[in-house]
Amino acid sequence: MTLVTDILQTALPASTSVALAASGEMLNERAGTLNLGLEGVVSLGAVSAFIVGTNTTNPFLALAVGTIVGAVAGAAFATAAVLVRANQVLTGLALAVGGVGLANQLGNGRQGALLISRFEPVEIPLLSDIPVVGQALFDQDPVVYFAFGVLPVALWFVLFHTRHGLNLRAVGENPAAADAVGVNVSGMRFAYATIGAALAGAGGAHLVLGYTQNWSIGVVSGAGWVSLAVVIFAAWRPFLVVLGALLFGAMTSLGFVAQARDWNVPSYVLAMLPYIVTLVLILIPAGLAGFGRRLRGSAAPGSLAIPYFREDR
Amino acid sequence: MRSRRTSSTGPSRVCPASKADPGEAGAACRAVPGVVARNISKSFDGVPALVDVDLELLRGEVHALLGENGAGKTTLSNILAGIYRADGGRLEVDGVERQFHSPAQAIASGIGMVHQHFKLVAPMTVAENIHLGWEATPRRIKRRALVERTAGLIDQFGLRVDPEAKVWQLSVGEQQRVEILRVLARGATTLILDEPTAVLTTAEAGDLFNVMRSLTAAGRTVVFISHKLNEVLEIGDRITVLRNGHHVVTCDAAGVTARQLARMMTGEERELSVEHRDTSANLPVLELRGVTARSARGLIALHDVDLVVRRGEILGVAGVSGNGQSELAEVLTGLRPVDGGEVVVSGQRLTHAGSRRFADAGVGNIPEDRIGTGLVRSAPVLDNAILRHYRSPELSGRVALKRRATVEFARRLVEKARVRTPSLHSMTSILSGGNQQRLIVHREALVATSAFVAMHPSRGLDVHAAQDVQAALLDAREKGCAILLVSDDLDEVLLMSDRIAVMYEGRVVGVFDRRDADREQLGLLMGGHDAPLTGEGTERR
Amino acid sequence: MTTADTPPLQASAGRSWRLARRSGVTSRQTAMARIAGVLGALIIAGVILALSGRNAPSLLGKALDGTFGERQGLEEMGLLLTPILMNALAVHIPLRMKLWNIGSEGQFFMGAWAAAGVGIYWGGPRYVVLVVMALAGMAGGAMWILVPALARARWQVNEIITTLLLNFIAIQWVAWFSFDLWRDRAAAVVQSTPVVQARLPFFPGSSTLYVGIFVPLVIAAATFVVFRSTRWGYEVDVIGGNPRAAAFAGIRVTRRIVAVMLISGAIAGLSGMLHLAGPAQRLNSSISNNYGLSGFIVAALAGSSVVGIVVGAVFIASMLHAGITLQSDGLSVYVVAAVYGLVLVGIAIGEVAARFRVVRSGDLDAAGAR
Repeated sequence: MTLVTDILQTALPASTSVALAASGEMLNERAGTLNLGLEGVVSLGAVSAFIVGTNTTNPFLALAVGTIVGAVAGAAFATAAVLVRANQVLTGLALAVGGVGLANQLGNGRQGALLISRFEPVEIPLLSDIPVVGQALFDQDPVVYFAFGVLPVALWFVLFHTRHGLNLRAVGENPAAADAVGVNVSGMRFAYATIGAALAGAGGAHLVLGYTQNWSIGVVSGAGWVSLAVVIFAAWRPFLVVLGALLFGAMTSLGFVAQARDWNVPSYVLAMLPYIVTLVLILIPAGLAGFGRRLRGSAAPGSLAIPYFREDR
Repeated sequence: MRSRRTSSTGPSRVCPASKADPGEAGAACRAVPGVVARNISKSFDGVPALVDVDLELLRGEVHALLGENGAGKTTLSNILAGIYRADGGRLEVDGVERQFHSPAQAIASGIGMVHQHFKLVAPMTVAENIHLGWEATPRRIKRRALVERTAGLIDQFGLRVDPEAKVWQLSVGEQQRVEILRVLARGATTLILDEPTAVLTTAEAGDLFNVMRSLTAAGRTVVFISHKLNEVLEIGDRITVLRNGHHVVTCDAAGVTARQLARMMTGEERELSVEHRDTSANLPVLELRGVTARSARGLIALHDVDLVVRRGEILGVAGVSGNGQSELAEVLTGLRPVDGGEVVVSGQRLTHAGSRRFADAGVGNIPEDRIGTGLVRSAPVLDNAILRHYRSPELSGRVALKRRATVEFARRLVEKARVRTPSLHSMTSILSGGNQQRLIVHREALVATSAFVAMHPSRGLDVHAAQDVQAALLDAREKGCAILLVSDDLDEVLLMSDRIAVMYEGRVVGVFDRRDADREQLGLLMGGHDAPLTGEGTERR
Repeated sequence: MTTADTPPLQASAGRSWRLARRSGVTSRQTAMARIAGVLGALIIAGVILALSGRNAPSLLGKALDGTFGERQGLEEMGLLLTPILMNALAVHIPLRMKLWNIGSEGQFFMGAWAAAGVGIYWGGPRYVVLVVMALAGMAGGAMWILVPALARARWQVNEIITTLLLNFIAIQWVAWFSFDLWRDRAAAVVQSTPVVQARLPFFPGSSTLYVGIFVPLVIAAATFVVFRSTRWGYEVDVIGGNPRAAAFAGIRVTRRIVAVMLISGAIAGLSGMLHLAGPAQRLNSSISNNYGLSGFIVAALAGSSVVGIVVGAVFIASMLHAGITLQSDGLSVYVVAAVYGLVLVGIAIGEVAARFRVVRSGDLDAAGAR
C-alpha cells in the first residue's frame, strides 16, 4: 500500500509546524490563556529562521533563533494579556495582524535568497524496515521525531503525572481555587504563554527549514489559525493534538499525491479536503452523542480567556 | 462610634476543653490566645468596610463571628487568611506580628479558610484537589499514591468522603468536607468557616458541628462565621458581633439570648413568629394530580404526586434536599416537563405549558439559585426589572417595547423593593447582593397574582434579607395567593407554614396542619421512616 | 457586589503606591482611555519609524490629509468602510448572544460567489438583477453559516471552530470557480471570472464610491433600534447575558441561536455582493482584503455598543486607507500592518488602564473622593 506510505511520508513534515504550534497553544490554553495571535508567532518564527538559515549552515541554530523569537513574541503577548490583564481576544488579534505584518516586512526582498541550512531526514535503522509505515514514519528529520514522538509523550507525562501539571491544569480550570492554595497563577500563565509561543516559533522555523525549504510572503498560509482549530478539535489532549495535526497534514498530502498520480480531481477540491474532513469529524460524534450532550465545549479549561483578578467576587 | 466591649477573659466557661470534654479541667484550662487582631481597618475604593476592629481568638475555642451582610465578617476573615491586606492595625499569631501578602503565607502561619463559595476544581477528583499547590505533594504523582494519602487524611480527621470521586459529583456537604480536609492537611491550626451551614441540611450541619468539636478538643481554633443565631448559640464558645464594620461586643455564648444577639446585630427588635391560618375550606389554586417527572439526569424524581395548595395559605414542603423538591417547584412553574399526570393552576390545565404561561397564570417563582437563574447581572437594572413582564400589553406592542412605560414600571418596582441603585441604567452587578435579592423577590411578588412558588427563599441570606423575603411571602398570602414554600430548614418551615407536606424520594409522605405538626415526627418522615399519622394523616391531598 | 466590596488589586512590589480598582467605569472613561492607548501606540510607532530614518510627523500629516483632507480620500475610505462595517455588524449581532461568528470572511466569499452566479450570466434589467444578486448574496452567506448554526443550537458544537474551518473551504470554492469553472478565458492577464453585467450605481456625485455604503449604515441604524426598543432585541441580550435567566423568563433559546446566526451570515454574504457589484466587478479569491478579520476586530473593540461599531469601523477603515496612502511614500503595507497590531494592543491596554487608578497606600481619604 504505497499510497499510504506516500501520504504519511509527506504528511509528517507538512504538519510538523502545526503539531508544534498546536501543542504549544494547548499548554497555553490549559493554563487558561487564549492566544489568537498564533499566525503572527509562526510567521515571525519562520522569517527569522529563514534569515539565519541563509547565513549559516547549522539548521539547529536557525531553529533556535526561530524558537527564541517566538518566545519573545509570546512574552510580549503575556505581558499584555496576563500581567496587565488586557482583553485576550484583542491582544491576540493584534499579534496576529502585527506579527504577520512585521514578519513580511522583515522578509520582504529576501525571497530569492538561498537557504543553506536545512533539516534532512535521518533514517532510524531497523524501524524503518517495517512494511508500509516504516519508510514513512522513521525516515524523517529530527524535528519531526521530536514533534510527533517526544513532545506529546513529554506533555502527557507532565500534565497528568506530575505535581506541576496538576497545578497547571487547576490554574486553567479554576484560577481562584489554585490561588487559594498558593499556586502562582500569573506566573504559570505567563510562563506557558511564552513556552507555547516558543513552540509555535519553532513550528514556523521548521516550516521553512524542513518543509518548504524556502520563504515567501504568505508561506505560513494559515498554519497558525489551523493550529487553533486543532487544539479545540483535540479537546486539549496532547496525543490528540498531534494526531489532529497529522490528519490535517495527511489530507493536504492526499492532495499533492492525487495530483502527482493524475487522479483528475480539481486541485481546489483537494485543497478543501483537510478542512472538510476535520469538520465532519467534529460533527459526527456530536450528532451521534445525541441532544444535550456537551461535546468539546465542556472539555475546555474552565477559565479559558478570562483574566484572573484575585479579588474579583 | 465607640463600641461596648465585654471582657473576654474569665472563669472556666472560656476554658476550651470544658465544652467538648467536661472532664478535662485545670492544667489545660489556661486560655491561650492564638490569633490576635487589633485596630483592623479596611476600605474599598474609599468606602470603609472595617473600622478599628479587634478580634482575639483563643486556642481550643469555637469563636462565632456574627453579623449581617456587609457587617464586615468576611472582610475581616479574608484579612486573617491573607486574601486582603488591612489598611491599618496589626495582626499577631502566637505572639509574633505577621503581615500576610497571600493566602499561602497565612497557611504557613496556620490560618486556613473555608469559603462560602468553594474554591475547588470541579472536574478534578477529591485526591487531586487536596494535593493542589501543596509542597508535600510528591513531584511525580501516581493516582494510587494520591488516593492513599488522601484516605490517610480522611481517617485522621474523620471527614468521610470518597477520594476518587470527582468534585462535581459530590453533594454540597461532601464538597465542604474536602475544603476542610485541604486546609487541615496543610497544618491549619486556626480554621475559619465562612457561613458553612448556609448550604447544608440540618443533618449535615450536625455532622459539621461534631467535626468542629473534635477539632477544638485537639487544641485548634475554629472561627464560625454565621448569621444563624440558633447555631451560633449551640456551637459557639464565645461570640463577636460586628455591625457596619464596627465591633459591637464580644461575649460568652452562655450568657446571652438569641433575642439579645439579634438586637445587637441589627440594632432593632425582631418579630419571631407568624400567625397561622386555617385554610382547609379554601379553593385550591395549585394542583398536582398524579404527577410524574424526571430530574435533569433522567431519573424519576416525582412519583405520582398529588398535592394541593389553597388560596391564602402557605404550604411548606419539608424534606432533605434531593428528594424531588426542586422538580416539584419546577413542574409548578413550567421549567420542567411532566411525564404523567396533570398540573392545574386556578382550574386551568397547564400540564405541558412553558414558564411563560405559568407566569401569565399568575404564578411567581423564587428559584433555588436566585441570582444565577433569576437575574442577568451584566444587564441594566431596568432590563432585570421587566424580565417577567415585558410581554404584557402595558409594556410592549407586538414588536416594540414601550420605553417610557418600562422605565416607569422599573422605577416603581425599584422603589417598592427599596433597591439602592445609582440609576435604572446601572449594571445590575454593581448592586449589593441584598439589593439584587430584593429586586428578584419583589419582581416575582408582582408576578404572583394567584400563586407563589418559593424555593429555599432565605438560604444564604442574613437576618434582614430573610425577613424581607418572609414579609413578601406573608404579604402575598394576605392578598390571597397560594404559596408553596420549599425549604430544608425545618425551622423556617415550622415558622411560616399553615400546612406542611413532607417529601421523601419523590413522594409526598405526609401532609399536616402546622398546629398538629411535631418536629420529631417530621424528622422521621423526612428520613423515610413511617410515623404514626395524626391530624389530617391519611389524607393524601 | 456592593460599592464597598470592590477591592484594590494587590500590587506585589512597592508599598507606597497601589492600583485601586474603580467601582464603576463610565463609557466616557473607557473611550478616553482607548484614545490614549491609540495615541500611545502611534507615538511608539512614530519613534520606531524615526529611528529608521523616516519623518514620522510628516507621515502622519500626509496620512490624515490623504484620508480626511480631500474628498477623494474620504471616498476611498468609504470603499473600505462598506465591507468592514458590514462584517463588523455581521459579527456584532451574534456576539451579543455570546456567539462567535469567525466565519464572516467565508460568508462574504460565498455571498459574492452566489451574486456572481446571477450577475455574470444574467443580462436582465439592471436594478432587477441587482436586487436578485442581493438576495443571492444573503442566501449564500446564510447557507454557509447554516451548518455551524444548527450544530451549535442542537449539539452545542463550538461555533468558533466550525465557522473558522468553513472560511478556508469557501476560499478554495471561490478559487475553483473563478480560476477554473467560470474563468474568463478572454482576459489574458487577469485571473478571474468575467465582469458582472449589472453594476451598482455610484454614490451621488462620486466616481469612486458606490451607493453600497448606505447599506451598512442602514443596517447599523436598524441594529441600534432593534436592540434598544424591540422585544426581539431585548430577548437576544438576555440570552447573551444569562441563558438560564432567559429560560426562566420563557425565552426559546435554540430557535434564537439559529435565527441570529443566519442573520449574521446573510449580512456578511450581502457584504460580498456589494463588494462584487461595486468596486470588484470580477470574482476571484482576492476579492476580500481580510475584511472579515477587520470586521471581527471592530466587533471585538466595540463590545455591545452599535455606535461603537460604526466609530470603530470608521477608525479601522481610516487607518487602513492611511496605510495605502503612505505606500506611495515608500511605507510598505507590512509596516502598516505592524502599526495596526500595535494600535490594537494600545487600545486593549488602555481599556484595562481605565478600570484602575493609582492610589497612595495610607492616603485613602484623599483618594477616596471620586
